[in-house]
Amino acid sequence: MPNMIFQRTSIRKYNEQTVKEEQIELLLKAAMSAPSARNIQPWEFITIQNKETLKKIADFSSSAHMLKEASLAIVVCANINKEIPAVKGKNYWIQDCSAATENILLEATELGLGSVWIGTFPKEEMVKPVSELLKLPENIIPFSIISIGYPEGDNKPKDKFDRTKIHCETW
Amino acid sequence: MTNMIFQRTSVRKYTDKQVTKEQIDLLMKAAMAAPSTKNVQPWDFVVIQKKETLLKITEIHNYSSMLKEAPLAIVVCGNKAKSSIEGIEEFWSQDCAAATENILLEATELGLGSVWLGVYPKNEVMKPLADLLMLPDYIIPFSIISLGYPKEEVQPKDKFNPQRIHYEKWSGTNL
Repeated sequence: MPNMIFQRTSIRKYNEQTVKEEQIELLLKAAMSAPSARNIQPWEFITIQNKETLKKIADFSSSAHMLKEASLAIVVCANINKEIPAVKGKNYWIQDCSAATENILLEATELGLGSVWIGTFPKEEMVKPVSELLKLPENIIPFSIISIGYPEGDNKPKDKFDRTKIHCETW
Repeated sequence: MTNMIFQRTSVRKYTDKQVTKEQIDLLMKAAMAAPSTKNVQPWDFVVIQKKETLLKITEIHNYSSMLKEAPLAIVVCGNKAKSSIEGIEEFWSQDCAAATENILLEATELGLGSVWLGVYPKNEVMKPLADLLMLPDYIIPFSIISLGYPKEEVQPKDKFNPQRIHYEKWSGTNL
């Protein structure tokens, strides 16, 4: 039985079943287990289940249309006030929030949920309206949105393994 | 609640035991199973086992002394030839971060210890590392993962903090 890494795939269609509170907590525990540069944990999470809010975000970008059907979205945000002075401007929070996002996708797979990563930062057409809608302060940047629900239909993971991308010792 | 996500932690001390070819293959498969923007898979990987190269990296990267003991390092690279598509030019680092996290998690699953060393966007590390590994100019070294069998048991930290969770909109706390 392949583990969650190999089972994960982008799932954009969901049935009506809602995600339980205990599942949401596990998703967020997985997110906060991610590594971060110098362990600063520069993240914040907004969970959205309100259909109206999900629909509004779906209308911001064609890449977010699946939120109309989703029972849950998690917005992974970066708190840029947590950036330590020595690495200011390096934006390590992008990497930390990416790892947290990937952990949510994998834990969702483990829980039998379908999910897809909607790229948000640095797309102007997403960052601005999402910040306004969720009333984010200036130091909180919406980094990614994860659309989540119980999968509708059969979704097989793609085999993307490509040996030519592995280089031994040097390029 | 003990899957690889919750077991992973940074491991910096290793035994002499070698990582097998099959394990390296699984780590690479896990990396390439990561999601990427528009599925462009903008990554390449350099697998390093030569002691001499590992030691040279410790002279380039300030926080990489664990590579003196590590039997294996994987350098995750971004491939600009794949990511230079209008509208997604800036997403390759997110894709490479997801691939890096997958390697750390698969390592945990395999009983290996690992730690993520940040490379991008530190020019003073990227340049000498690209030279050492003879990377072409469209290949950007993104991260180094140090790997080996853990010398001692390392407990994962519990980093769960409910204050970081906000319902429906920003809750106005924790600034």
